[in-house]
Amino acid sequence: MKSLLAVMAYLIFPGGLFVVVGSLAYEYVDRKLIARFQNRVGPRWFQPLADFVKLLVKEEIIPQGVNPGLFVWLPVVALAAALATALYVPMAGLNPTWSFRGDVVATVYLLMMMTLCIGLAGANTSDRFSIIGAVRALTQLFSYEAPFLLALLGPAVVAGSWRIADINAFAQERLWMIVTQPLGFLVALIGLMGKLELSPFDAPEAETEIVSGALTEYSGRGLAFFRLGRDIELFVGLTLISAFYLGGLANPLQFLVKTLALLFVTAGLQSLFARLRIDQTVGLWWRIGALLALTQLLILIGLKTLGVAI
Amino acid sequence: MSTGSEMEAVPQLVTRLGRAQPAGDNRLSVELAVEHLPAAVEALTKARWGYLSAITGLDRTPGETEGADSGESAPPRRAQFEALYHFCRGATVLTLRVKASGENPTLPSITAVAPGAILQERELAEVFGMHITNLPARGRLLLSEDWPENLFPMRKKNTPEAIRARISEPPPAPLPASSPERPGRFVVPIGPQHPALKEPAHFELEVDGEIVKDVSLRLGYVHRGIEKAAESRSWIHNLYLMERICGICSHIHATAYALGVEQLAGITAPPRAQAIRVLFAEMERIHSHLLWLGVAAHQAGFDTLFMFTWRDRETIMNLLDEVSGNRVNYSVNVLGGVKYDIDDPRADAIRRGVDSLERRIHHYLDIVTADESFLRRTRGVGVFPTEKADVLGVVGPTARASGILRDVRVDAPYSAYRDFPVTPVTDQGCDLAARFVVRIKELFECCRLIRAILGSFPPGELRVDVPRRIPEGEVISRVEAPRGELFYYLRSAGGPMPDRVKVRTPSLANWAYVLSVAVGLKLADIPMVVVGIDPCFSCNDRMFSVHQVGRNAE
Repeated sequence: MKSLLAVMAYLIFPGGLFVVVGSLAYEYVDRKLIARFQNRVGPRWFQPLADFVKLLVKEEIIPQGVNPGLFVWLPVVALAAALATALYVPMAGLNPTWSFRGDVVATVYLLMMMTLCIGLAGANTSDRFSIIGAVRALTQLFSYEAPFLLALLGPAVVAGSWRIADINAFAQERLWMIVTQPLGFLVALIGLMGKLELSPFDAPEAETEIVSGALTEYSGRGLAFFRLGRDIELFVGLTLISAFYLGGLANPLQFLVKTLALLFVTAGLQSLFARLRIDQTVGLWWRIGALLALTQLLILIGLKTLGVAI
Repeated sequence: MSTGSEMEAVPQLVTRLGRAQPAGDNRLSVELAVEHLPAAVEALTKARWGYLSAITGLDRTPGETEGADSGESAPPRRAQFEALYHFCRGATVLTLRVKASGENPTLPSITAVAPGAILQERELAEVFGMHITNLPARGRLLLSEDWPENLFPMRKKNTPEAIRARISEPPPAPLPASSPERPGRFVVPIGPQHPALKEPAHFELEVDGEIVKDVSLRLGYVHRGIEKAAESRSWIHNLYLMERICGICSHIHATAYALGVEQLAGITAPPRAQAIRVLFAEMERIHSHLLWLGVAAHQAGFDTLFMFTWRDRETIMNLLDEVSGNRVNYSVNVLGGVKYDIDDPRADAIRRGVDSLERRIHHYLDIVTADESFLRRTRGVGVFPTEKADVLGVVGPTARASGILRDVRVDAPYSAYRDFPVTPVTDQGCDLAARFVVRIKELFECCRLIRAILGSFPPGELRVDVPRRIPEGEVISRVEAPRGELFYYLRSAGGPMPDRVKVRTPSLANWAYVLSVAVGLKLADIPMVVVGIDPCFSCNDRMFSVHQVGRNAE
């Protein structure tokens, strides 16, 4: 019985099917919101699913000069890593399926796998657009990853636990941490956008310069997996940030309201700005992002040692 | 501005080197010996007398001009060519004429003294077979790679039939790779097909990390041979052909052509027709600038601005559609006048549309001057100092954003611009941000002009008759297209068809700018800098005879 439940958790809920359906739905909401902000009509509700199915049935072309094993398996690894993160976050406002001390760090690293795989995938091909895209993706990774991690550590330090479930429970009892740690929230949210290469941080796949960046040579199944993996990261990332900063996720309704509110904000941010050049992205993160997150963290640690309740 | 005083301002050296004579309104012509050409050009450049606007090649081989089939069996004559170097300053056009003859006519390159000339010299070399000495060039610029060697399409003896026979032969050898790998260099190809390019062109950017180290340009992917085609069509047919050179500034091409033909025929369009021509030209400018603003915003990754500008552009597109029945080729012009009248309800519709657009344009001006994220991509990028812009002979908004007042509507008012003067917009910024500001401020000027014209519409006829055969002669017709000075050279031999139609589009004059600033920029800035001149490749690539002849068409 127990093993059956475990399989269920992997395949249906909260992992597997639920995450896939949920992230496709969130992709739809994201695309529709941006379209409406841009005065466009936007896609129909099943468009993300249709895109996914279409890509799956298309021919997968393996270009000359690549390592075929890497080429085929990198998207699978990226997708698997993204799916795995769903098991450690309070998906749908329920307690995480798996939980251990330090799972917040493990989750952040699992979330990073996607960008690493994209970088490797780009470097694996001999296409110049892919190589430049890969260089940019990895450069961007090094710039946002540290501030993003620091921003997630803020709530962990306050809650005194490195377990996502504990932090979620802690957040439900306290004043929302978006109020007590506004800087951390800002860095975390924008860090998530950088992680997902959403506009204006889309220099690694800037269409008008390098076509599709690192994924230029991908088609068919590989591309479908990368895209789905990215949707899942968005889904999981929003869950994580609302659990930490928006007063925790106690039930499915809270989950829905809080993550959608965050999605609304990111969609707005995506349609407000012109794309940052890669040098500007790096400058922004190290000059401002890292500094903000670090300041926040130092203040929190200081207050905690002084014994002030936050 | 009288021709006499401008002529006095021409450096003495030029008039001493050759035989100078006035050639019609505001035109001077100096015949030079071939060896004196570089010296004359250098004297003009040094004295900062105007800028090199266009180079026209002419095939003056005797006996070939009247009827194509009369000279078929005649013995080969000694080919004679003439190259015309047109310099413009204010309303005056100074033409340096040099002759060259034989199967391998030779001309000295003037690129060393007038750097803006290189693309035009390469064009001259490719389509006329002029041997241009010391031309720093690599490969072909316009003709396709499998075009036969020594087939020069603009030569008169190469009739469309002769060219068709030659190019249907299989190519002698496999084509060389267009971009051979150069060891130790990392070359990013942009084009011929690339999301940044709405029309095909090919850039090879050699990059070191994100920094561009070298750039080369290949044009001609949409070369349709319109200049050659024009020589086998009647004066009237050509009006419609010229309108199809460009899908965005179609009206201004037809206007430039019609004005030129009318000047050759010695007639003037009635005032109402002239006003309608200008009205359409300004509406076209609005639609072109808004289109450009959207494309430029998209290049910067600012898709929201892109979507909004294109939505607002529909206002003007619908008006054009309503008045003329067409969104793209309005077909307003006829030789001697215009086809459509603007009645009161339509005038009201135009006024309403322009009013609502003007409010939106204020908003866009705010965005490009105040939005920090956008300014980070435009301010100080692609800086083109006034001095350099002047020497390279850039035109239109690109020149005006570098602080050079170069606008044909002001310098040499044509058509109804004499009655409705234009207040030119310039900016000293010299960078991309300045180009945004100049173009958007020009939109206000367009709106003002449209209202002024509608406010005092001259009554009267819409057209006058134009003779079928146009008297012998040559004429230069310059107009201000949305992208800058559009230069037409028309030559009639008295027949039912033109002897030569030369079109120099603003984009061709502005490429020199892109090539000169690209090195040292970041890769991400290249699409922005390219779009900064508002390039129009189909305008560029107009020249010779794949039209109806190329194997693609068959």
